[in-house]
Amino acid sequence: MSAPSTTEHQVRTIEAGSPPERFARGWHCLGLAESFKDGAPHEIEAFGTKLVVFQAQDTGRLHVLDAYCPHMGGNLARGTVKGDTVVCPFHGWLWKGDGRCAGIPYAHRVPPRARTRAWTTLEENKQLFVWYDPEGAPPPEGVTIPRIEGAFSDEWSDWTWHSLRIDGSHCREIVDNVVDMAHFFYVHNSFPTYFKNVFEGHIATQYQATAPRGDMTAAETVSAQGDTRSVASYHGPSYMVVYLDMDVDGTTVETAMINCHYPVSADSFVLMYGALVKKLPGMTDEMAAESAAMAAQGLAAGFEQDIEIWKNKTRIDNPLLCDQDGPVYQLRRWYEQFYVDVADVRPEMTDRFEFEIDTERAVKVWQAEVDANLARRARAARGEA
Amino acid sequence: MRPVTCEECGTGVLVEKRSLPHTSVQWTGPTDRCPQLAGGGARIEGCTRLRASIEREVREGRLTVAHDD
Ligand code: FES
Ligand SMILES: [Fe+2]
Repeated sequence: MSAPSTTEHQVRTIEAGSPPERFARGWHCLGLAESFKDGAPHEIEAFGTKLVVFQAQDTGRLHVLDAYCPHMGGNLARGTVKGDTVVCPFHGWLWKGDGRCAGIPYAHRVPPRARTRAWTTLEENKQLFVWYDPEGAPPPEGVTIPRIEGAFSDEWSDWTWHSLRIDGSHCREIVDNVVDMAHFFYVHNSFPTYFKNVFEGHIATQYQATAPRGDMTAAETVSAQGDTRSVASYHGPSYMVVYLDMDVDGTTVETAMINCHYPVSADSFVLMYGALVKKLPGMTDEMAAESAAMAAQGLAAGFEQDIEIWKNKTRIDNPLLCDQDGPVYQLRRWYEQFYVDVADVRPEMTDRFEFEIDTERAVKVWQAEVDANLARRARAARGEA
Repeated sequence: MRPVTCEECGTGVLVEKRSLPHTSVQWTGPTDRCPQLAGGGARIEGCTRLRASIEREVREGRLTVAHDD
């Protein structure tokens, strides 16, 4: 026997790379707008710094400023709201939502250059968003957050909302999920039968259908009970809207879900998710709320599963893919547009790209696994080995 | 990837088929000539006319399917 040649037996070496130092340009959701409307300033740790969110009492509008006061560095989030200003707890300087200093109680006049950074905000879908751009440009025309009709309709439940901080991972990990068909089976106990991605401009979409997992309980997977069809789109780098229809007992349950995040540092981010459910005929508000809470529970379980993977995996810049994997490299090429200067966005990052996975073999193999699980369970129930 | 021209709108795209059910389409310019996709972006799953054009290329042997067994 001859020694294996190095070319034939070359081992694939993982390139872990390092997370980008900069943060993604785009709209980032900070949470439900209502949660900031309690008359107090709120601290948000994001984009490598701290922000303060407060509601101007006169206009009712939400504003976002740098948390650290340019005077001597006091933290405005620890201050108070007075009229349409936030007051620094350190020396009492008053700051307006547009970043101007509105007054210094102990001074004859405000220095003309007393201005802090006011972040561009947007309220949509009863959520608060900030625009982040390291180059300082305003959001371009057409780059916005789509309205979700259910968020404003009595025929739908209210939002459930949850947030959790992930340390030790870059948010690319969650964005990768957009194309990752197989992980839905192995990580989320789901059963994808159809899977297609489309990227164009600042939007990346996943079209998916799943079959029920007869071998799973509702607690183990959202898709245990019936067929599902979903369309999930990232609008920019961090805000995903998921429309999911599930067939349950002969009716279709319509849900709208949000999966969004904002970066804290190069390797930590805050993940947030929420759900809305359309009320079925005869459903009371309480039943709808319960149904939305169940959908949110399913989301929560799903994210727990993802987090367990992230906590134990390595970052990988050169995934080794097979033909039935989704287009990870093209997704990352799309995602890169948010991490380069606008002048460096290349056409291939934004040109339309479509990728439909061949699921034939996956469906066959996974069905066999489901059947085997069911058979094993039936034998156990009959008391056989 | 192989070039395919849409029979409907004449847009040229690049297509790869690793198997019959798989399709990958790379556009190399805007979709504004496509009556189904223009203005809809990634919120439209695909153009049925372009899909028909690709299927025809496959049927007529001009677009080879990589692992057709
Ligand atoms: S690309 Fe020609 S009709 Fe759609
Ligand atoms: Fe996942």
